[in-house]
Amino acid sequence: MSDPTVAEAWVAAPLRKLMEDARLISGVLLYPTGRAVGQFGFTNAADVMSICALTSAINASARELGRQLDGKPFYEMHHAGADRQVFMARASAGSQELLFVGVFDRESSLGVVEMYFTEFQKALEKLRPEAPVAPKPVPSGDFEGELNRSLDALFGPIGKR
Amino acid sequence: MKDLGQVVGALSRVPGVTVAMIVGAADGLIVEASQVPGSLTDVDTRKHTAALGAYLYSKVTRASNAARLGVPAFMRLEAELGHICVVGAGELVLVAIVTPDANLGRVRLDMMNAAREAA
Repeated sequence: MSDPTVAEAWVAAPLRKLMEDARLISGVLLYPTGRAVGQFGFTNAADVMSICALTSAINASARELGRQLDGKPFYEMHHAGADRQVFMARASAGSQELLFVGVFDRESSLGVVEMYFTEFQKALEKLRPEAPVAPKPVPSGDFEGELNRSLDALFGPIGKR
Repeated sequence: MKDLGQVVGALSRVPGVTVAMIVGAADGLIVEASQVPGSLTDVDTRKHTAALGAYLYSKVTRASNAARLGVPAFMRLEAELGHICVVGAGELVLVAIVTPDANLGRVRLDMMNAAREAA
């Protein structure tokens, strides 16, 4: 199992622990804007880009769906496929919100993933930098630019990937 | 099939059992739980015990199958301050947290009976 690659160093240790303890096959930690913060299990930047875009969109849809159906946003989602399962949830570090999406198979279970995700959240809260990591100023709504910058941080600039 | 609430209710009245739970075998999530009043087990402890109990049982099942022993009938984990007992019931597993001084024979018998009722 390969080590996580991260754009922000403080998430590396909790992400590795979550990956190992919960026996996840792959996972991505990202901001709700779609900017990737860390990943493991992927070697292709395009895969991470797709996952970030989809997770960001799913999170926005699930929140609105939750608001309309239940009066409050849905923060956690689980989808069980035939062989593999997807777990998606919100994590917070102070005022900063993060999203996590992880994939696991029969070597783990939803209960185990949820349990270690709770520990992961606590670790993020504990390790978060005092001053939030300020993203470089970007034009508002520059979704594609945000994605590309975070992928450069994880996999290196295009041409060197 | 008996009501699962009744099954865990009856199990939690066995002397020495502090928490009785019915858990999904595949996902490790609690289906029904019953706790002896006054015991100090909180929600997180119950959830974590359920998840790890089911996970452990699935690994034990693999080991048992690998040894060509068939499905494990009863699993007991002895720890410093008590026991975790697990019995499979089809797609469910029964998980109980038991005090160190409990009558384990009685706990085992009642859990096996409860598993038959829950399956």
